[in-house]
Amino acid sequence: MAITALIIFSWTLIGIAMVVLSAYAVRHYYLAYSRLRIAHPRETDELVGFVMPRITVFIPMHNEERVARDVLQAIVDCDYDWELLEVIPVNDRSTDSTRAIVDDFARRYPFIKPYHRSEGSGGKPAALIEATVNATGEIYLMFDADYVPGRAVLKMLTAPFLDPEIGAVMGRVVPHNIGDSLLSCLLSLERSAGYQSVQQARYNLGFTAQFGGTVGGVRAAALRAVGGWNPESLTEDTDITFALLLNGWRTAYVNRAECYEEVPQDWGVRRRQLSRWVTGHTECLHNYWPDLVRARCLTRSEKWDAIFLLAMYLTAPVIVLGWLASLVLFFVPEAHAVPVLPIAMLIIGYQLFSNQATFLEIGVATLLDGTRLRALLMPLSLFNFFANTAAICNALRKFYWNRFWGSGGDGWYKTHRTRPGPDDQGFGLNQAPSEATRQSLKGLYRANNQGMGD
Amino acid sequence: MLFLAYSVLFLALFYLHFSLAHRAWITIRGKRSSELDMSYVRLEDYFGQSFRRKLKYWLATLPAASNSTANLRVFHHGQERIFVAPSVQYPSGRVEKEILVTEGTFSCGNNCDFRREVMVHGDCSIGAGTTLQALAADGALNLGEAVTIRRWVDAVGKLTIGADTVISSRATSRTAIELLPRAYAQSLFAPEIATEGRNDDSPELSTNSGPVLQIPHRPGDPEKAQHGFDPQKLFSMGGGTYTYEGDLDITTPLHLRAPLVVRGHFSCAKESLLEGDLKAHRNITIGPTSVVKGNLVCDGDMLLKPDVYFQSILQAGGTMRLSFGVRGLREKRPVAAHATGVLTLESNIVINGKVSSALRVIAISTPLAWLRPHSTRS
Repeated sequence: MAITALIIFSWTLIGIAMVVLSAYAVRHYYLAYSRLRIAHPRETDELVGFVMPRITVFIPMHNEERVARDVLQAIVDCDYDWELLEVIPVNDRSTDSTRAIVDDFARRYPFIKPYHRSEGSGGKPAALIEATVNATGEIYLMFDADYVPGRAVLKMLTAPFLDPEIGAVMGRVVPHNIGDSLLSCLLSLERSAGYQSVQQARYNLGFTAQFGGTVGGVRAAALRAVGGWNPESLTEDTDITFALLLNGWRTAYVNRAECYEEVPQDWGVRRRQLSRWVTGHTECLHNYWPDLVRARCLTRSEKWDAIFLLAMYLTAPVIVLGWLASLVLFFVPEAHAVPVLPIAMLIIGYQLFSNQATFLEIGVATLLDGTRLRALLMPLSLFNFFANTAAICNALRKFYWNRFWGSGGDGWYKTHRTRPGPDDQGFGLNQAPSEATRQSLKGLYRANNQGMGD
Repeated sequence: MLFLAYSVLFLALFYLHFSLAHRAWITIRGKRSSELDMSYVRLEDYFGQSFRRKLKYWLATLPAASNSTANLRVFHHGQERIFVAPSVQYPSGRVEKEILVTEGTFSCGNNCDFRREVMVHGDCSIGAGTTLQALAADGALNLGEAVTIRRWVDAVGKLTIGADTVISSRATSRTAIELLPRAYAQSLFAPEIATEGRNDDSPELSTNSGPVLQIPHRPGDPEKAQHGFDPQKLFSMGGGTYTYEGDLDITTPLHLRAPLVVRGHFSCAKESLLEGDLKAHRNITIGPTSVVKGNLVCDGDMLLKPDVYFQSILQAGGTMRLSFGVRGLREKRPVAAHATGVLTLESNIVINGKVSSALRVIAISTPLAWLRPHSTRS
């Protein structure tokens, strides 16, 4: 009797896994196909005739001495009118030389107005809430401290706000340290698929893009209208995306607004980063799904898309449960009484159909980006997949454990930076690169801005 | 022993799955991303500027070939040859396979074929039916009828695009562009873009257009639906922006004073004033002689009826049609109109800035029915 119950339970689990994962697979295929099919992707970044509003750029920093100069200098070098620009580096309780670096820039450029924070609760949302009080811009742009924005990014991220329905804008994240480790290279494939394929495809299809606080912007009036940043959230960007969406505001995506990021180079850093995203994302799912289902301002397909987006990390435990159920059925002789061939065909068909879906998105992205050499690394993504699955399951276990017992979460974890700082011998983006490096980077950083500003 | 052999075979087969990836990683390791382009900024006349810069560099650094003469200097750049001549006149039907630079004026007869880029430092005139790869001119540039430009064209002086001419990519000028009927390009950018039949007389305004509807409502305005507007369907999104549920077809002049998102079609009557930005989930139709100060964005088609005056950016997810007499002008700053579908320009249109489409911008002769003073006022 118990064996029969176990077999039924295992088959049920496998069935659920197949249904859920097949649904996601259909979504992956559809997005990849639509990204290739639409010859003229949706663009909302017309710069001719664009009346530049006053903008405030926030750069949250916590012990960022290795990267602070790069991001500040890159923003100074942007082609935005300095009269309409306000930059607020939010120095959140740093104990290294971040404060000195920021103050040095503030002395040289009057539009840089540092906000030094020495107390209060930790984390990016809390720091942003305090810093926002004194901001004067109509549009708030945000960059993580390890990001290096391209020269035109400020204008490109601001231009979509000419559409009165746009409450937030997301730019594209491009890793610059792809050759530093195998992990960073595999993450660059993941980022390409996420931005070039999925974000652009979803935006083309009329779904709201996902706002990311790492390279993006939000309309100040819209932010105030939805009550500002959520200090409780670990992913304040995902939170604000859905708060805006439920109030009728949309998020635009600008694929050409590229910002160069340092992705994690070791699995430990990656695991902690992923853990924070999983917790924040799943928290948003619990907070917003009832409102999303009821929202009158969203179509049915928009609701489905939003739920799929928020629930995506739940696929990892579903996969693992499916594997465990398969093992049970494999080792229980009584389970072999069922007709094996049709079920085997079903599972093989499902494996062929579902497991390739995410790889298709990576393939589409590398095709569009012209990075075909990197596409050859796709089989190695398998290891990344296993590592991600384990990290996500662990993060979800902790999240639901804390939720069940009502205890607090892990709190904010700052991603470790590996870029060589000013005192290191290595090549930091803030160092003047050699001629060979300058050529190979097509002018990454300062090459065409020598002597500008300072 | 057999176990060992099987193990080695298994590992070899396993490695084969990843061998290409391994080789790719060896190539990539230690390098930085090749697609970084931090210095990218968008320039409308990028192609022309880039070509001029490259050409200037080549001519300054390459030695002239030994077969050069006083009237024709020849430079070799890899497999390419660059011909540099003073003023040139090509007869009809001539085929030119080399890059051509003229230091003075340039003209060609009908049906010539230039298979490489042409750079003209003076004025330039291209005969009907000629095909060119790309063309940059430092003076005025006159493209005859049915000319085909496979890529781009850029002029410092006035650019006249003859009837039935096709430009596959961009047409830019630092002075002005005149687009004659049935000519088309993917985008046009100039301080002034005009179509045929320009008439700068001010349009007549009617003396009694009916009551003016205000959006958002002012205190004391009626709360019941009238003139196609139902106040019950208007909601605040916060931040001074409003949303309207459903179609909004206003039958009286409208004064839009705040940003508005319409979740359906939008149309307004003649002589409306739109000061706030407007977004419609479907089509937008702006009544004749209206003034548009805010930006217009729609997911569907956009139609600006005759004599509309706009000072902003227009973006249509579908097609766009600018009717007879439309003006896109703003002091000290360009305006822009962009459509994902075909963008059609009727006669007597003047736009200071940019007109572009993901497909094509085409000029047409205005149908007689639209011409003043017949039906443009209704």
